[in-house]
Amino acid sequence: MKLFPKFNSSNSLRVIFVIAVFILLFLSSLGYKHNQDLNASSKVAMHTYEINIQLERLMSAIKDAETGQRGYIITRNSRFLSPYIYSRDKVNTSFITLKKLTADNPVQQENLRRLFKLIIQRFTSFENCFKYSDPKTYDKRKLDNHMFGGRILMENIRFQVDKMNDIEKKYLDRRLKIYDQEISLSPVFSISLFLAALLFILLAYRQISKDIQRLKVFNKKLLISSRLMSESESIGKFSTWQWDLDTQKIDYSDNQYRLLGVRPNAFVPVQETFLDFVHPDDKEAIAASMEEIVTKKHLPFIYYKVLRADREIRYFKSTGKLLTDKQGSKILLGINFDITDEHLLNIELQERNDELEKSNKELASFNHVASHDLQEPLRKIQTFISRIPEAEKAGMSDSAKDYLYKIEVSAKRMRVLIDDLLLFSRTNTTKKEFIKSNLNELAENAKSELLEIIDEKRAVITVSKLPKLSVIPYQIEQLFINLIGNSLKYSRPDTIPEIHIESEKINSSDYPGLLDQNTRKFHKITFKDNGMGFDPQFKETIFVLFQRLHSKTDYPGTGIGLAICKKITDNHKGYITADSTPDKGSEFTVFLPE
Amino acid sequence: MKLFIKFDINTICSLFLKEKLEEENLNFSTLGFGEIELDENLDIEGLDNLKSKLAPFGFEVVENQKSVLVQKIKDAIIELVYMDDNNNFKSSVFLAEKLNHSYGYLSNVFSEVTYSSIENFIILQKIERAKQLMLVNEMSLTEIAFLLNYSSVAHLSTQFKNTTGITPSAFQRIIKKRRENLK
Amino acid sequence: MQKNALHILLADDDEDDRLFFKDAFEEVRVQTKVTFVHDGLQLMEHLMTPDIKLPDILFLDLNMPKKTGKECLIEIKKTEHLKNIIIAIYSTSSSEEDIEDTFIEGANIYIKKPSDFNTLKKIINEVVTLNWHYHTSGLNRDNFLLRLK
Repeated sequence: MKLFPKFNSSNSLRVIFVIAVFILLFLSSLGYKHNQDLNASSKVAMHTYEINIQLERLMSAIKDAETGQRGYIITRNSRFLSPYIYSRDKVNTSFITLKKLTADNPVQQENLRRLFKLIIQRFTSFENCFKYSDPKTYDKRKLDNHMFGGRILMENIRFQVDKMNDIEKKYLDRRLKIYDQEISLSPVFSISLFLAALLFILLAYRQISKDIQRLKVFNKKLLISSRLMSESESIGKFSTWQWDLDTQKIDYSDNQYRLLGVRPNAFVPVQETFLDFVHPDDKEAIAASMEEIVTKKHLPFIYYKVLRADREIRYFKSTGKLLTDKQGSKILLGINFDITDEHLLNIELQERNDELEKSNKELASFNHVASHDLQEPLRKIQTFISRIPEAEKAGMSDSAKDYLYKIEVSAKRMRVLIDDLLLFSRTNTTKKEFIKSNLNELAENAKSELLEIIDEKRAVITVSKLPKLSVIPYQIEQLFINLIGNSLKYSRPDTIPEIHIESEKINSSDYPGLLDQNTRKFHKITFKDNGMGFDPQFKETIFVLFQRLHSKTDYPGTGIGLAICKKITDNHKGYITADSTPDKGSEFTVFLPE
Repeated sequence: MKLFIKFDINTICSLFLKEKLEEENLNFSTLGFGEIELDENLDIEGLDNLKSKLAPFGFEVVENQKSVLVQKIKDAIIELVYMDDNNNFKSSVFLAEKLNHSYGYLSNVFSEVTYSSIENFIILQKIERAKQLMLVNEMSLTEIAFLLNYSSVAHLSTQFKNTTGITPSAFQRIIKKRRENLK
Repeated sequence: MQKNALHILLADDDEDDRLFFKDAFEEVRVQTKVTFVHDGLQLMEHLMTPDIKLPDILFLDLNMPKKTGKECLIEIKKTEHLKNIIIAIYSTSSSEEDIEDTFIEGANIYIKKPSDFNTLKKIINEVVTLNWHYHTSGLNRDNFLLRLK
């Protein structure tokens, strides 16, 4: 039995967790990157936006200058000139800003340079317009020319600004497009990764909860078995102790204290008191075997007496084992059994066994006496009677003749009794040699044994096909002889006896009486006769030794024949039953295991 | 003078016989009146010689014709039993024809000499053959019953048991164990 | 019957049984010469006497002092010049075990001592007749088994 479950899942759990952590790390790095990208993109947008603004500012400054110029030229009021004057500064500031903004982009710088040239040209054109609009130097044609040139320049500047704006916008668009592409892929990916991680974690959770469940179950079992252990110790009258050889700490189980006749933890067990409870007779032997455990690592059962605190003597059976754990510390484990009850029972049993053996021996010698010594004188009585010549008998008085006859009858009866008794005891004592035999053959032998009486009564005996079984042939033959003989003996005087012997194979389950048998298939052999039968209330008792249903004057017999049959079927692990209808006939049924 | 001699004819004869037989160097013992037993078996010449030696004194060796006939009956029975197709023969007819005497006569002579009947002897021989077939040829009882013309195995079994006191299977078992025992 | 008297040897410690046996043989129609021994040791001594005429049939009681019938049987069957003697066990016991055992050890006939004198005579007649048949008709003595009750 495995005491502890092996948690194989811990490794897979570890793998699942590592994978999940990696996925999460990956996910967060992905997020970080996206953030960075977003940041960069917004910077680009800002950049574009700024350039856009600066360019607009530039334009508006130029427009301001243009408006101012126009106002001045029309009004000649120098107040209109101030936006113009400021616009130059504004243009310059914007330009410097733009230059800084486009530092990373040579195309825009080139455009900016071109723009600046155009702006300078425009301002030159402003100056020229001023010059030719000044009443001092007024020249209408030149003024018109410059005004018109300014107009064209303005167109070019706008164009240039638009161009630059376009470039920036395109750049922004491209940038956004790339960002969009990146961004559009990542949600699916990261969600699936996230789901995967979630799945792993769920799996891990499931595994963990399963493990916990199992742990709980095992914990419960452990709890139960430890309770059970302590219960069974007290029920089974045994106890355990542990002795840590390194720390010299000794632990007794609760029942150990109880077995010693004290309450649990009534004292602290120490080495010195360890043998205190052992009966003085056994102390030496136990001390020796304690040492033996250390050298031999384990101990065969030892039997000894214990003298309890209440002076009661108990009989113990103990064994021990030296356990060495991985750290190399040695622990002596001991188990004690209180076998006092068994011991006393054993003693009693032993005594009875001795008695039984003695009476068996007596029985055996009685058997011998019966078989030989008792038979000898009887045989001689009979033989001597048979030697009295008929002629001499004729000369005797009638009463003498009668006495002699009675002696003869009694001797004969005693002979039958002895023979039957012998047969009965022999069915038990002789060696039981099972031989595969044809029961039909044995039945024939039985018939030929009874030939005289069969002929005399002109009995009809039919035997159907019987099985071949492993039996003690003499005994089964005897069984047939006894049963057939019984039927012949108790036949009805006015009827020709008929005996039908039949056999069939049966399952023991169909016969409640056979249920206690291990064998399942039986051969059922029935002996059915048309004799005088018997009262069915005696169907059990007729198999009991010396049970007779008829007086011995009516039907001579010893009451042993059917008891022999029972014994024979018992010897074959079989069964015999009887049933009868008085004046109709009886049926004896023998069950023999296959 | 007249003397009355009381003599015992038995003693005389015995003494005379003793003398004659000792002359022939034959060891013998007397069993009773008119019956002696020789320690050795004589062949026909020896017997004829003894006959001629004793004849002049009025002694006659009673040669038992009946014994000879009994031997012939026995031989015929053995022949009959060991014939494998003896179905057609009724033993009485067979013996009467073979020995040229009435069966009644043969039966009487046989019983007179052997104190047992021809029928018993036939059974004895058949059972003997059955034993052989059982042990040597390892035939089954059924085969043997068929071969020896028994109406059934049961019949053979019964006759076997009646003749030997034991059943065929017990016989087989005992002989088998006996052989193992000898090894 | 036959010219030669049949040599019978009975080993039995019981005096009455020897008497019955002797009387029975006297009434048997066959010429016989019956010798008695009283126990197993005497039997073996008798059989081992040099130049003795061995019995045609040895009747052997199983339950004898000093040496049992079975011991004698085994010894006889082991002795080269004795092993062909026809042995008839003549015992009170009718246990199948005794019967089978002695047959296996080489006995030819098993007789349960009868309790009737006429039966004894009948049995002896039967044994003698059968023995004679075995003797004169070439029957196989190895297969000679007879059980009489």
